[in-house]
Amino acid sequence: MSADRTAGGRADLGLEARDVCVEYDGQPALRSVSLTVAPGHVLALLGPSGAGKSTLLHAVAGFLTPSSGEIRVNGHLVASGSRAEPANRRDVAVVFQNYALWPHMSALDTVAYPARRRGVGRASARAEALDILERLGIAHLAHRRPSELSGGEQQRVGLARALARHAAVYLFDEPTAHLDAHLRGVFLEELVSRQRATGAAALYATHDAEEALGLADEVALLHAGRVVQLGTPQQVYDEPVDLWAARLTGPASVVTAPEGSGRLLVRPEWACLGGGVEGTFDGRLREVWFRGPHSDYLVSSAFGTLVVREPGPPAHRPGEHVSWSLRRSWRLTDDGSDGRDRAPSLT
Amino acid sequence: MRGDAATTAVRRGALVAVATLTVVLVLFPLVRLAQTVGQETGGDLTPLLSSPGLGTAVRNTLVLAAAVTLLAVPGGTALALALRRSDVPWRSFWRVAVLLPMLVPDFVLAYSWTQAYGRAGFTETLAGIGWDGLLGPVGVTVVVTVNAVPLAFLVVAVGLATRAEPDLERAARASGAHPATVLRTVTLPLLRPALAAASVLVFVLTLATFAIPVVMGTPAGFSTVTTRIYANLSLGADPFSFVEAVALALLLVLLAGLVVVPADAVLGPRLRARRVAASDTGSLDTGGPGGGRWVAATLAGYLLVTLVLPLVALVAAAVTRAVGVPPVPSNWTLDNFEAVMTGRTFEAVTRSVVLAVAAASLLTVLGGCVAVLERRRSGRWLSSLITLTLVLPGSTLAVALLISYGRWLADTLALILLAYLAKLWAFAHRPISGALDRLPPDEMYAARSSGATLLTAVRTVALRPLAPALAGAWLICFLTALHEVTMSSLLYGPGSETLAVVVLNSQELGRIGPTAALSVVLSLLLVVPGVLFWLVMRRLRVPDRPPESRPVEVLDVG
Repeated sequence: MSADRTAGGRADLGLEARDVCVEYDGQPALRSVSLTVAPGHVLALLGPSGAGKSTLLHAVAGFLTPSSGEIRVNGHLVASGSRAEPANRRDVAVVFQNYALWPHMSALDTVAYPARRRGVGRASARAEALDILERLGIAHLAHRRPSELSGGEQQRVGLARALARHAAVYLFDEPTAHLDAHLRGVFLEELVSRQRATGAAALYATHDAEEALGLADEVALLHAGRVVQLGTPQQVYDEPVDLWAARLTGPASVVTAPEGSGRLLVRPEWACLGGGVEGTFDGRLREVWFRGPHSDYLVSSAFGTLVVREPGPPAHRPGEHVSWSLRRSWRLTDDGSDGRDRAPSLT
Repeated sequence: MRGDAATTAVRRGALVAVATLTVVLVLFPLVRLAQTVGQETGGDLTPLLSSPGLGTAVRNTLVLAAAVTLLAVPGGTALALALRRSDVPWRSFWRVAVLLPMLVPDFVLAYSWTQAYGRAGFTETLAGIGWDGLLGPVGVTVVVTVNAVPLAFLVVAVGLATRAEPDLERAARASGAHPATVLRTVTLPLLRPALAAASVLVFVLTLATFAIPVVMGTPAGFSTVTTRIYANLSLGADPFSFVEAVALALLLVLLAGLVVVPADAVLGPRLRARRVAASDTGSLDTGGPGGGRWVAATLAGYLLVTLVLPLVALVAAAVTRAVGVPPVPSNWTLDNFEAVMTGRTFEAVTRSVVLAVAAASLLTVLGGCVAVLERRRSGRWLSSLITLTLVLPGSTLAVALLISYGRWLADTLALILLAYLAKLWAFAHRPISGALDRLPPDEMYAARSSGATLLTAVRTVALRPLAPALAGAWLICFLTALHEVTMSSLLYGPGSETLAVVVLNSQELGRIGPTAALSVVLSLLLVVPGVLFWLVMRRLRVPDRPPESRPVEVLDVG
């Protein structure tokens, strides 16, 4: 998959998972998942809860043993068949959704912990930890315990602990899920720039499409333990393999193709009101929503109902007859494969 | 609005009634206890305290409690950690099985150990292996420890589930820590409050333990505070013995208070500040593959030695013709059962059952009252007080009630009933209160905002999900009251012996076969309703709520 992404390093470094299967009490949780992340790159795992994102991260980290398949971290085989290297001997660092900070340790001791486990003395481990905290701009929090930190500060300490591990692979398990919206962006930027600076590969689990498309070099869409699609953010957004993938990655309308048979995927910004290049169709406005930077119009027409996005405040009112046209569209090949169709609803 | 005025009146009435009852059952008797010691000694305690027997009993009790704590808390912790491993075969079975030594009445446990490993016991008759030191301090320590390990296990397991989220340990593993290092640097420090709480609980309950030392210690001349109180009161007419018993009862509650009050002040807030457990509590892979099988094998061996073999020996002793003959089918007989199935035994069984049913029913109401009242600020002190009665030694309570109400109620079942109400109130309160905590407040709010008064909302919305807890509270009180011997052995008189008292008296007379038979009868009396109720509870259990709707806040209705 990463043949064209050689900027970061050799293909056998970073992270490689091949045909990984995981079972919980006989129930398959991961079905033959294969993916590769090159050093310095980020692969986002995008899927609804229960899709197997955390399970895959846990298998890579060594918190559970796959029933079959192989996992390589930085070129070392860490899991093969039912043989598995314990978590502490893998070259992996983890940032947790719930921060997972130890309530009985100060931020400084928390960040010094990985160095202590490498056998570094207490004083130099703390010095190293303070250095990392300083780089993240939170040295003033060094002596606080988790209960005295805000959510954003806690997650920064969690990131500092992961950085202190000097790992070849970083695992992010929905690290922003519990952060306030305004903190998210700042933290994300920080997270990815730090990880890229280390030259490590990263696996980033999230259910937020915007997050996944915005930060990753590649996105894997996960459904019921299986990788449904793997590609660059633009590929999975513009050319989703089916309607389920389309709805997972962003707002999506489906109309029957104006010329001939088949169904078309239309993203709101792919359509416009008024005349277009390929042809103009008639429609009636059913709803209008003001979204701040743009407005969304729900248009019903002979080909179906679709959402059209236009910049600026609403220029039309519900009930008006409008003409619309398509700038582009994507022909859906298979609508209902695996019953995924039903999962996320149109927004 | 009229409904709410009525609700307030009901609430106020209940608060006054419950407060009065705590005074009658607990506070007044304790005051009378202290008063009596003061009056009888004229304020001069020296002759009392210098009695050598008393000093020995106090020293024995403290050493026993310390030794049991040092053994049972690490044991319970090891169990809790081992049973967290997801690779232990039959894990949910073992989680229940390790609690069994606590469910067997401690009298039966102690007596079955003497039948299994004592002189002329099961192992000596069959294999020539007997343990001479079983009767005495070492044997008492071992059996009290076996009895206390499940309690320590429960406290530590709850601590693990609420404090040690698996992610905290995974974070340490991912930071490069070996499983043993994770235990040392993360798991055990997180468990510190739970370990301290388990230690305090085991220590205080061992101070108050009676049945095991009286069965295994008294024959060897090993006396504790509780067995000395029993011995003193059995002497009856001797005024000095009576005063010493009263003084010992007071001393016992002071010792318990000395441990519990500071511990509660330090630990209470830390234990109460619990976080909501993560959704994937418990299971965690800590070791290599195959380790789980060793855990299961060790557990099987442990339960075989501590519980299964003694109970088998007890049954064998009950059906064997005479002491010392091998328990083979040709020596089997029902003579022992026929010998004990007298009119007196049947009366005692009837009394025990009636007493237990009355106590359990009243206690479920009382426990429910406190659980509801404590949700208002005005009632919060009640729950603290009721919880403290958990550590109030039964011997102290019995002596205090005897002094306070013996003039009118001596030798009646009513006096024993009062003692059960005081002692088991907290047993009924805890499960109901816990179930109320788990009840999502929004469900009550939804009922109230749909037009229901508080009482209607409780009846229509809350009662059904609370049913398992109410049934559980009733069952715990019923079973505990059925085999209770610490207080009933001090309070019974002619015409008010319970079955447990009959068994104890039979044991003291040294009638081995009949005592074993009576113990079997007593155990069956517990097992049959226990299993029945377990089946009912399975019926009553409400399907689990989805995890996200689990409430974080404590319910505050009204």
